[in-house]
Amino acid sequence: MFAMRADSILRAALLPARAPRAGQAFGEDLHRLGRFTLPGSSMTFRDWPRAGTLCGSTTLGLGPRARPRTSDSQERPRGRAAGARGPALGWRRGRAGRGRWGGACGGRGRAGAAAPPAERRAGAAPARRSPGQSVSAVAVALTVACGRLWRRRRLPGLAEVSGPPLACGRVEQPRTGTRRRDGAAEAAACARSPSSSPPAPGRLRTPGSPRAAAERTAGDGEIAARERPADCIARVMDFTLCLTQRSRMVDSKRMRMTSNFQWPLLTFILLYLMNQVNSQKKGAPHDLKCITNNLQVWDCSWKAPSGAGHGTFYEVCIENGSYSCYPSEKTNIKIPALSPGDHEVVISPLRDFGSSISKFILSEKNVSLIPDTPEILNLSADFPTSTLHLKWSDRGSVLPRHSNVIWEIKILRKKNMEIVKSVTHNTTLNGKDTVHHWSWTSDMPLECATHYVGIRCYVDDTHFSGHKEWSDWSQLKNVSWSPDSQTKVFPQDKVILVGSDVIVCCVTRDNVSSAQIGLTKCPLIHLDGKNVAIKIHNISVSASSGTNVVFTTEDNIYGTVLFAGYPPDIPQKLNCETYDLKEIVCSWNPGRPTALVGPRVTSYTLFESFSGKNVRFKRTEASTNESHQLFFQMLPNQEIYNFTLNAHNPLGQSESMILVNITEKVYPHSPTSVKVKDVNSTAVTLSWRLPGNFAKIKFLCQIEINKTNSIQELRNVTIKGVENSSYLVAVDKLNPYTIYTFRIRCSTETFWKWSKWSNEKQYLTTEAIPSKGPDTWREWSSDGKNLIIYWKPLPVNEANGKILSYNVSCSSDEETQSLSEIPDPQHKAELQLDKNDYIISVVAKNSVGSSPPSKIASMEIPNDDLKIEQAVGMGNGIPLTWNYDPNMTCDYVIKWCNSSRSEPCLMDWKKVPSNSTATVIESDQFRPGVRYHFFLYGCRNQGYQLLRSIIGYIEELAPIVAPNFTVEDTSADSILVKWEDIPVEELRGFLRGYLFYFEKGERDTSKMRSLESGRSDVKVKNITDISQKTLRIADLQGKTSYHLVLRAYTDGGMGPEKSMFVVTKENSVGLIIAILIPVAVAIIVGVVTSILCYRKREWIKETFYPDIPNPENCKALQFQKSVCQGNSTLKTLEMNPCTPNSVEVLETRSIVPKIEDTEIISPVAEHLEDSSDAEPENHVVVSYCPPVIEEEIANPGLDEGGGTSQVIYIDIQSMYQPQAKPEEEQENDAVGGAGYKPQMHLPVTSTVEDLAADDDLEKTAGYRPQANVNTWNLVSPDSPRSTDSNSEIVSFGSPCSINSRQFLIPPKDEDSPKSNGGGWSFTNFFQNKPND
Amino acid sequence: MLACLCTVLWHLPAVPALNRTGDPGPGPSIQKTYDLTRYLEHQLRSLAGTYLNYLGPPFNEPDFNPPRLGAETLPRATVNLDVWQNLSDKLRLTQNYEAYSHLLCYLRGLNRQAATAELRRSLAHFCTSLQGLLGSIAGVMAALGYPLPQPLPGTEPTWSPDPAHSDFLQKMDDFWLLKELQTWLWRSAKDFNRLKKKMQPPAAAVTLRLEAHGF
Repeated sequence: MFAMRADSILRAALLPARAPRAGQAFGEDLHRLGRFTLPGSSMTFRDWPRAGTLCGSTTLGLGPRARPRTSDSQERPRGRAAGARGPALGWRRGRAGRGRWGGACGGRGRAGAAAPPAERRAGAAPARRSPGQSVSAVAVALTVACGRLWRRRRLPGLAEVSGPPLACGRVEQPRTGTRRRDGAAEAAACARSPSSSPPAPGRLRTPGSPRAAAERTAGDGEIAARERPADCIARVMDFTLCLTQRSRMVDSKRMRMTSNFQWPLLTFILLYLMNQVNSQKKGAPHDLKCITNNLQVWDCSWKAPSGAGHGTFYEVCIENGSYSCYPSEKTNIKIPALSPGDHEVVISPLRDFGSSISKFILSEKNVSLIPDTPEILNLSADFPTSTLHLKWSDRGSVLPRHSNVIWEIKILRKKNMEIVKSVTHNTTLNGKDTVHHWSWTSDMPLECATHYVGIRCYVDDTHFSGHKEWSDWSQLKNVSWSPDSQTKVFPQDKVILVGSDVIVCCVTRDNVSSAQIGLTKCPLIHLDGKNVAIKIHNISVSASSGTNVVFTTEDNIYGTVLFAGYPPDIPQKLNCETYDLKEIVCSWNPGRPTALVGPRVTSYTLFESFSGKNVRFKRTEASTNESHQLFFQMLPNQEIYNFTLNAHNPLGQSESMILVNITEKVYPHSPTSVKVKDVNSTAVTLSWRLPGNFAKIKFLCQIEINKTNSIQELRNVTIKGVENSSYLVAVDKLNPYTIYTFRIRCSTETFWKWSKWSNEKQYLTTEAIPSKGPDTWREWSSDGKNLIIYWKPLPVNEANGKILSYNVSCSSDEETQSLSEIPDPQHKAELQLDKNDYIISVVAKNSVGSSPPSKIASMEIPNDDLKIEQAVGMGNGIPLTWNYDPNMTCDYVIKWCNSSRSEPCLMDWKKVPSNSTATVIESDQFRPGVRYHFFLYGCRNQGYQLLRSIIGYIEELAPIVAPNFTVEDTSADSILVKWEDIPVEELRGFLRGYLFYFEKGERDTSKMRSLESGRSDVKVKNITDISQKTLRIADLQGKTSYHLVLRAYTDGGMGPEKSMFVVTKENSVGLIIAILIPVAVAIIVGVVTSILCYRKREWIKETFYPDIPNPENCKALQFQKSVCQGNSTLKTLEMNPCTPNSVEVLETRSIVPKIEDTEIISPVAEHLEDSSDAEPENHVVVSYCPPVIEEEIANPGLDEGGGTSQVIYIDIQSMYQPQAKPEEEQENDAVGGAGYKPQMHLPVTSTVEDLAADDDLEKTAGYRPQANVNTWNLVSPDSPRSTDSNSEIVSFGSPCSINSRQFLIPPKDEDSPKSNGGGWSFTNFFQNKPND
Repeated sequence: MLACLCTVLWHLPAVPALNRTGDPGPGPSIQKTYDLTRYLEHQLRSLAGTYLNYLGPPFNEPDFNPPRLGAETLPRATVNLDVWQNLSDKLRLTQNYEAYSHLLCYLRGLNRQAATAELRRSLAHFCTSLQGLLGSIAGVMAALGYPLPQPLPGTEPTWSPDPAHSDFLQKMDDFWLLKELQTWLWRSAKDFNRLKKKMQPPAAAVTLRLEAHGF
């Protein structure tokens, strides 16, 4: 029977339920809970009398303090119940159709699988129900009915749950011991469970308060075990029996009191049974669902049986350690949270006999945790920053345990509720009501559209094993901007990070036609109403005045300015130092420019953490990359500063830090007011100012001392810092009368940085007496009467001041002469002395005093053994060495002068200590190639002896001139050459020899060639004997032109060359033979020819001159005769007079070489022929030509005497003029002659010119060269030719004229003997003769 | 012939005897004011270019011509021509003087606000020139015997950045300041030119007429 009952119970499915409706206040629930727990509180369960078992007792936690609440709840139970009804019905409706899980004991899956058979069985149950089963059901029903009746009867009596003893006795079931034991064990377990459950946190266990009771109930351990349905049902049954028995026991006394009512009661029972039987047809409560919102109270609801009327009451009994029953007028009930594990819940509809009871197995796993819907306490908007601030309470006090809560917040935009953001936010409940804040910055300005916010939560309680669900969304709250009439663009003047996205909107009532940022048009995004927005992606850096965003409507424009920039960079190279220990200067580099200016520029704050002081830095200028500075006043007695430099602008901030010991970071200003004061001639004091409070530190200062022409000197001094900024230091070891330049810089002893150098201060130290006398020398004048004393000016370091004058004195044993106050620039004095020995002393004086005298003896010790030596310098000086001479006691003196100067000659001198044997003479005056004369004196016994005389060169150079040389003599095979010395000035070194070159060659060709020694045809003679002045060159060829070159050389190189051309004489014997043989041959040939001609004259006559018949004898020609006579001029045929003349002339001139004769004559003959026609009477002139030749033959002697054409040869013969010179002269003449030279030789012209007046010269300008005939006249006034030619004036200029022909030949022909091809071969022949 | 006459007349003003007229009258100061106005016009052209570039697009776009929204306090240069011409010389000069003193004040505010040093220099230079123009107008008025307008107490324009004024509206104001300034300078140049002609001695007027005829 029980098993079947259990099956029917299983039909009930526990469906999940949504959270109870909002507005069901927790406090109210708690109140209700308190009311429902009252009946069970302080219950004492006693053992059933028959069974003798003690079911145990438990205290549910309210204890004595709960009592007042009990009585309180009893005051108006109905009202409470009625009040609870409404909401319960409400959420049941809301939950309809939302069931998620079923099965009282099993899990969801199992319940689903088990449900169909259970239903089938349940459907079949009424038909197959056995009487026993019915009785049992009746018994249970009776029990419940009794209980209810009893409670109703006792209202408002005790809250204890106790069934009527009678009914309970009737329905008691015989049970096996095991079962009973189980039940007892179960009861014991129930009784134990509170104490065995994990103790709830002490603070929550507030005795007496309803909440404490609830917490304690909820604090029971979780249920984990799951039983089979049959076991579960059996247990519930046992528990019920136990309860019934206990009820009987407890109420045994009361039974007596109520015995009078037994009969009506029995009647009632019968009626009840009837009703109960009927109710079997109506069904049972089902779909039990439990939810909790606080883990302490479970709100369970079920579905009423199908036929249940409106006024149906239920009794819900729960086995939870004890067996508690709760009445309910509705189909829901709030029960305290059950301990872990499965619990049987029996729901019995009361007063509805058609319905049967339902049993459910309930455990925590089947309960859904659905938190209360959160409520937004406040939603506010910060429009300038587009930030929403949300505030809500977590109602943490509702939940007994610390649990994590996840909040989901959604943000919706515009009227059509577009979700723009959904975020979760985690918090922890701590048992108190905590208000949470959450802020969200919108990408779109909040003014642009309405924004809505909703929130829900999810309690993630780890100890709760049931199903956890999100709460419902809270009611949405919104923020919106109430626009005034003006159109506006948002955001206004916003500073944003470069590269971010930004939404700009225009809140307007007009139609916006376009929008642009800068020059770029943007697509419009339409918002509510006519509002529009644009989205700018990746905004670029703004210009200094910002980026303009402009919206254009039909008749207006609206805009805003955005400032896109960067947050401040970390200040770089932050450095803090002090100049004066009064103020700290911190400098830094701002780093990357922020592109924000004006009010948005980066501001800097320098914060010192030890003192807590700070300084601000703000610039409105655009921050360039230059260094920034801040000044921080130093604090007394603080040396270590910890600075934090904070950079801040609207986009963010950054900072850098530095910790400094400021006494180690002193960078002093550069010293000022540098002053120098005398101490003495070698020491001064330096003073300067260094502003600052340096009393506690020491300075290390550097003094730079600069002396002209000297390396600078650095001296370090350590000075103690003072407060009054004045510092003084002595500087010694200076030179007197010297210009010094001082400058100073300082740093602290713990070096950080040198200050800048102070300004330079120049100072001249005072004078001191000259430290030495001047270097002195003396020379006797050339006449030996005067002694000239020389001294050198003192070097600056010895003069110690400005030398004003010198005193010179000469003292001998007898007398003393002195010259005083010789002013400074003069370094020489002359004293007239006899040849006594004097000691000369020279003293230099400056303004402070006189130098010690420098002394020198006048005596000169003669030295006979003197040779002049040669020396050549090395490098810049001339080294001199000598042998050590112990007699030389004072010193050695080397004096020198230019050798070309006259005596006494002194350029300079040098004194060498007596122990040295060598020195190098150096002087700026030495020049290369100049010969100097050095004299080495040794000093002995107050007298100087000339030891050596040396000539030398600092450097030898090549001679600058060639030696003059002349040809002394020439012969057919040799030439004697003689040359002269080169002057010393032009030699420029020691002459080492001559080089003589000679070669065959003529002027023209040899000019082209250089004299290279390698050439084989050049012969070279090296004359190393410099005393040799002549040279004979032998083995030459006769009548050959030789090119001679002579040059001198020194160690410095070869001098220039001088060359000359010489033609050797012809061999005379050969010449004679050459003349005589042809003459002899010619004579012989002539004689032979004559003889032959004579012998064969008849034959010759026959052959060449046959007899021609006389034409007179010819009659035939008679008529012609008259004709001939008629023209007497026709002489063509008159041959007689011509022939014999010609023949005769040839024969008389036969001695002369024929070729030449014909050459001479032929033009004359031509002339004769040409002129014959015009001047027939001039035959005499023709025949005159030969005499001209004769005259020329007679000329040689004359030519030798002074013919211009022979100037060269005359010169050579005289041997005074080199070849080159005549050549030049000729060239000059040629230039002067300008092509008319030949005419200069005209002897005739002289007379002509003489006759002509000077004025006529101008007329004959074209013939200018002829004016030179004066020279000609001088040369040969008496020349026979000139006298002769006087008669030839007529023929002047005619081609037949001798002069004319001669001078039309180009001048070069005169020089070159061979080119004389014309009629002048004879002349040339003789002209060359002297050269032979 | 005509050219010759013109040449002679061209040099007429250079002849001292003709130019010396005991009291120079307001003529030279009007001329000076006119020249200064033209110079300022020229100077403003380059300043406006720089400044509008500084304001950024669209302010520096050539066709940018927004309606005059703010800048109510700026003296408007746009006026009905007839109304303006019907004013007396004194009134016109007074209005000019008042307008420039207002504009100068705003311009100085602009200078204080400018972010770059170079712009501040140009603005300061222009302010100095404008101050000169004010002095010049005052000189003309004094020469013509008109009293200088006394600023009413409390109406003295003082430039202070309106905290509620957004940067964009400020830029619009700046734009309008430059624009009004330019229009005022144009109008003043016309005014002074007209005044100059009116005040010129007859001889010079003849010269000018001939000049115009000849060339």
